[in-house]
Amino acid sequence: MIPIGALIGIGLACGLIIYFVYIKVPQKVKGLEKTEEINAILPGMNCGACGRPGCFAFAQALTADPDLITKTPCTTVLQDPEKLEQLEKALGITLDASAMLKKALVHCNGNSEIICDYSGVDTCKAAAQLLSGYKKCPYACLGLNDCVEICPENAISIDPEKNVAMVDTEKCTGCGLCVTECPQNLIELVPAGTKIAFLCNYKQLRNVPGREKCDFGCIHCRKCFKACEDEAIEWNKETALPEFNQEKCTLCLKCIEACEPNTLADFTKAKKEAEVVTA
Amino acid sequence: MTELIAIFISMALINNFILVRFLGLCPFFGVSKQLGSAVSMGVAVTFVMSIASLATWLIYNYILIPFDLKYMYIVIFILVIATLVQIIELFIKKTNAALYFAFGIYLPLITTNCAVLGITLIVNTVEVYSLWQSVVAALGAGLGFTLVLAMMSGIREKLELANAPKAMKGLPIAFIIATLLGLAFSGFGGMI
Repeated sequence: MIPIGALIGIGLACGLIIYFVYIKVPQKVKGLEKTEEINAILPGMNCGACGRPGCFAFAQALTADPDLITKTPCTTVLQDPEKLEQLEKALGITLDASAMLKKALVHCNGNSEIICDYSGVDTCKAAAQLLSGYKKCPYACLGLNDCVEICPENAISIDPEKNVAMVDTEKCTGCGLCVTECPQNLIELVPAGTKIAFLCNYKQLRNVPGREKCDFGCIHCRKCFKACEDEAIEWNKETALPEFNQEKCTLCLKCIEACEPNTLADFTKAKKEAEVVTA
Repeated sequence: MTELIAIFISMALINNFILVRFLGLCPFFGVSKQLGSAVSMGVAVTFVMSIASLATWLIYNYILIPFDLKYMYIVIFILVIATLVQIIELFIKKTNAALYFAFGIYLPLITTNCAVLGITLIVNTVEVYSLWQSVVAALGAGLGFTLVLAMMSGIREKLELANAPKAMKGLPIAFIIATLLGLAFSGFGGMI
């Protein structure tokens, strides 16, 4: 009996000591109040998009330097106006959420011809190492789900017909994980207010028309530039590609109509939805 | 006094925990990549060792021996060490947050560190020290542990830049360095 009693007694004593220490020691951690306040506002999903090892580490960094929120913003907080207001209050700064909010844009429409039957390891990274993939265009989306798997919001899906990654702009938080994951460097973070999407990555060789590689690639014909009535498109002579001025663009979609290879698309599909509602 | 100094030096150098007794080898390789974290790990282990040897000496001599429960010492010691680490963690977290985050995961890991259990067993059952001798022995053992960890991490920081063969880079070359350090420490063998 004595051994059992002694073991239980000592165990109980140890447990009680921990309990009393836990109660007696003040709960608030000195010097960390602000960090914990910020940490409570942050989403707590530890996605790592801000470049810190977790939400608490980001809260610590923000305590030291509130300006960090503009340099490496927490994309999830930017989606939520209520949380954003709390964070602004906690940090004592004002933020322009719409300017900072970004969305992923896949610069490919996936129409490049498949030139060989790829049956290797089922990831884009593996396929991209073999002669830049199995499609005719070496810059094309391979559609083997690398970005789909990395996306924490399930915002990316592969279009089964075109075999190209599609981003659901509603779900996308602009964390940028897919940007680093894509071996073809197709995905770019663009401001959420972007209106016209340029769906081609084929810009390296301007003297070779995109059409040789893909029916839907940019052929550098300048028709979009000429069609635009708002002077929202500028022609970049270096890259031979159009550049879109988001402020001037009125979303008339004339450039999309003018584009013969259909390289351009309505990014947010806002116009189309508006038409559906009125009709 | 001379005896206490002899015990201190014996624990720190001659019977060094890592290189002579081969205790606490996992932090020796796991936490010895950077000097800063190695030293904080060493300080944490020294602290826990001193308090653990004090607490276990009291329990061993005032509870286990009178009630003839000596055979339960390992279970009881583990229990005491785990409790101490928990309490220390609570205290550090609430008094010095910077130190708490510097320790990070290493503080809870000390619970299962064999060096801490080793010192409590040595002072109570192997050497049978008095209370003061136990605390001094634990302090010496902890400082010896810290010294070796700091030496190893300093060497490994330089080793990153050394032109080692590709197959030997990282852990393999660290093992070789550990043997050389052990060889050097065996030179303390005849001191006392």
